[in-house]
Formats: sequence, C-alpha cells, structure tokens
Amino acid sequence: MANPSRLLIVDDNEDILSTFYEFFNSMGYEVKTAVDGFAALKLLRDKSNFFDCLITDLVMPNISGVGLITIVKKEYPHLKIIAMTGYGDQPGALASEAEADVVLFKPIDLFKIENTVTELINQKNDKQEN
Amino acid sequence: MSTPLIGVSKSILKIKELINHVANTCLNVLITGETGVGKEVVAQSLYAESNRSTKNFVKINCAALPETLLESELYGYEKGAFTGAHRKRPGKFQTADKGVLFLDEIGDMPLALQSKMLHVLQSGEFSPLGSDYEFKTDVWVIAATNHDLEESIYNKTFREDLFYRLNIIKIDIPPLRKRKEDIAPLIEYYFRLYKSEYPDNHGSKPDSDTLAKLCNYPWPGNVRQLQNCIKKQMVLKSWEKIFDELPREHQENIPHIHTDSQHNGTQPFVNHDFANDRSGIISEFVDLSTSSDKLFEDISLKKIKKLASDRVEKEVISFVLEKVGWNRSRAAKILKISYKTLLYKMNEFKVHPPVK
Repeated sequence: MANPSRLLIVDDNEDILSTFYEFFNSMGYEVKTAVDGFAALKLLRDKSNFFDCLITDLVMPNISGVGLITIVKKEYPHLKIIAMTGYGDQPGALASEAEADVVLFKPIDLFKIENTVTELINQKNDKQEN
Repeated sequence: MSTPLIGVSKSILKIKELINHVANTCLNVLITGETGVGKEVVAQSLYAESNRSTKNFVKINCAALPETLLESELYGYEKGAFTGAHRKRPGKFQTADKGVLFLDEIGDMPLALQSKMLHVLQSGEFSPLGSDYEFKTDVWVIAATNHDLEESIYNKTFREDLFYRLNIIKIDIPPLRKRKEDIAPLIEYYFRLYKSEYPDNHGSKPDSDTLAKLCNYPWPGNVRQLQNCIKKQMVLKSWEKIFDELPREHQENIPHIHTDSQHNGTQPFVNHDFANDRSGIISEFVDLSTSSDKLFEDISLKKIKKLASDRVEKEVISFVLEKVGWNRSRAAKILKISYKTLLYKMNEFKVHPPVK
C-alpha cells in the first residue's frame, strides 16, 4: 500500500488496545493508540489532519468516548469515527447523538470492523475527489 | 476571586492539564472525590478558563434543599404557581444562562428531579413551575458528588441515563492522603492568604518536624480540614494544640513530637488512684497522659459525646450488616433509619462489606 490509512484507536483496556493494534497493523494500516479520551485528544491536537479514522471505546476516565467524539466532530469534521461500546444502550445512544459515523456493540468481529473502516475511508476519499 | 487549584502532585497537574484542554468545549462535566478535596475549586477553574468566564457561575447544593424547594430554585416559578408565590421568580437555569450551573452533591438529588434534569440536558429547554411555556437555556452543567454514582445506579438511587449524560468529562480528585506532596504548597498558600486576611494574627509556619507530622496525618476531611487547621493555628498560635484536636483514631500514624512542656516535666494527670474503670473509659476518647491544664482544655462533653456515639453506632451498624449478609435495605429497616442515612453513615464510619 503506497499510502497506508492512518487509524487512531482509543480504549482503556490495554488488552483490547494491543489486539486492535496487532490486527490493523498486520492489515497494512498505520496505527496509533491512546488509553483514554484525553490522551487521544492530545495526539489529535498534536497531529491534526494526520488520521483518517478514529475508533473509540465510550466509557473511559477523563474524557469519555462521547466527549472525544463531540470535540473531534467540531474540530476535525472530516475525521471518520467508529464508536464501540460494551455498556448497554445509553453510551451508544449518546455517541450517535454526538454524530459518530458508526456505533458498534461489543464483542466486535475484527474483520467486520475492518470492513467498516474501509467503507468509511472510501466514502471520505470519494467526497474529497468530487 | 476564586481559589486557584493548588498542588504539585501528578494527579493535580493532570487535572490542570485536562481543565486546560476541555474548558472551552462546554461538555458536561462530572467531578468526583471525597468531601473537602476541592471539587468546587475545580469547577471554578473550569469556569475561569472557559469563554464563559464573563457570565455567571451559579451554584446550587442539591443535598441542602428539600425536593420541592430545590425544584423551584432550579427552574423558577410563575406568580401564583403555588401558595406563597406572590411574584414571578427566575430559577438557576435562567440566572446561569450563557454561564455555568454548578450542581453540587448531584448524587443526593431526588429521583423525580433527576428525570426533570435529564429532560433539560437532553432538550436544552425547561419550564418554570406554573408556566405553560418551555424556555431555551444555554448553560454549561458541571456536577459534583462524593458518592460512587455507579453504586447509586446499582442501588437504584441514581438514574443511569443521567449518569452517562453528565459523565462526558470525568474529573476524579484523589484524597489528600494519596497526594501528600500537595500538603506543603497548600499550607504555604493558605498561610499567606489568612495572614493577609488577618494581619494582626501571629501564627507561624510549621517547621520541618511539624510539616512531616502534617504530611503523615491522613486528613479524612481533606483540604477543607487542612484549611481549618491553618486558620485555627493563626488564632491558637500552636501546632501542638492543632494536633491535639485532630480526631484520635487517625493519629496512630503520626510520629510523636516532644514538646517543651513535656521536657519540663509537667505533672501528668494520670495517677494510680485514678487508674480504674472510669479512667479506662475516658482514656478511650481523651489522652489522659497530658498535663492537667491541657487535659482540661481537651475535655469537651460535646466532642466526647460525638466520639463515643460514633464508636457505638459504627459497631452496631457493622453488627447488623453482618447479620443480614450486607443487605443494606434490610439493615436500614432493622436500625430504623432511612436507607440514605445508612449509606451516609457507612461512608462516614468507613464500614465496607468484606472483599470477596
């Protein structure tokens, strides 16, 4: 891949984080990770326009996934966002309200999420080409 | 002038950095931490760094008012809405418009008002009591509590949907005993503050031994307790007296400091004639091994009554809870107190179920 897509993955569970990292890395993506919304926000503000897609958990300390999504949609409207949650309907509903592009419920099939990432990035590229 | 957030510990520095990153987002914030850790100070810092700092900062304590009064304070009322409503009165949501509404002790808000609050947070609209109209409101809601809201959700005393709506940004302030390095800067700050407020008082800054002792004390009342001690010291002019007034049960960790009066050999109060049951009981609550002057200063019936009744209450509560397998609603019924009072007392006396 000439220009690998760049992902930012955020989850306070380090096992999930490393699983996602390994998987997407092996699929040819350039991956950065953050353990909560605050760490993710600092990465994003440091490298604005670097990432193509953000995959974030919702219930996290400091800045929650919902908070992160709201801030990102305002500051970086072109960044595609996938929200993941394992805490019932409430956080998922709030993530949709915050305009996450896709909300997925855990447990999540990694291949399915990779498909979603591809679709979202293609959408973004199509838009930019038009 | 609001109090700045004082501290050099990792956790306080991180909170400062977080405040700096989120102050302009106006996302709902939930501040948690034990009583006296400085939740309002954090809320004030968020406000001061935000672009709402020229507007109002309106505070309401959700635990201090009965349900109906809290409702009319929050939303206001129209003339004639209820007996005694002689004229229209704006609520806090109106006064805080374009500014900040600080909901202190949100964990104590009655359930009925929690649903109403949720509606306002979802729709950005509220209706004063007795009014047919909904008004738009643009407030930044910062809530604080010393309760573990997840436990309150489990016990059905707090709405889960309201929790997630408030918990967008979560700031947890650790107790002072977990960030001892903040104690010296806090003393420095408050010492200077009180000195400037009461220039005639001649309290002294703690020397290194006293400071070590202060750092070893667990500060169950956190920064507020430390603040009070510094203030008291300005009046009493003796750190020794301050230590003597600190609750006994927390003092076992403090290394003993010899004072001049002890070196001078002032007669201790205990003698053998007195070493009977009576002194045994009294000595559980007052240190009898000090000089009579100091002892008489320490003996306050009110203080001893509180210490003694707390001790017995703690034992009775633990006893009943163990008997009913830590079923708190049953225990509350047996003890003939409300469920809320039981949770409060369990928290106050640090009665916790055994870890499985």
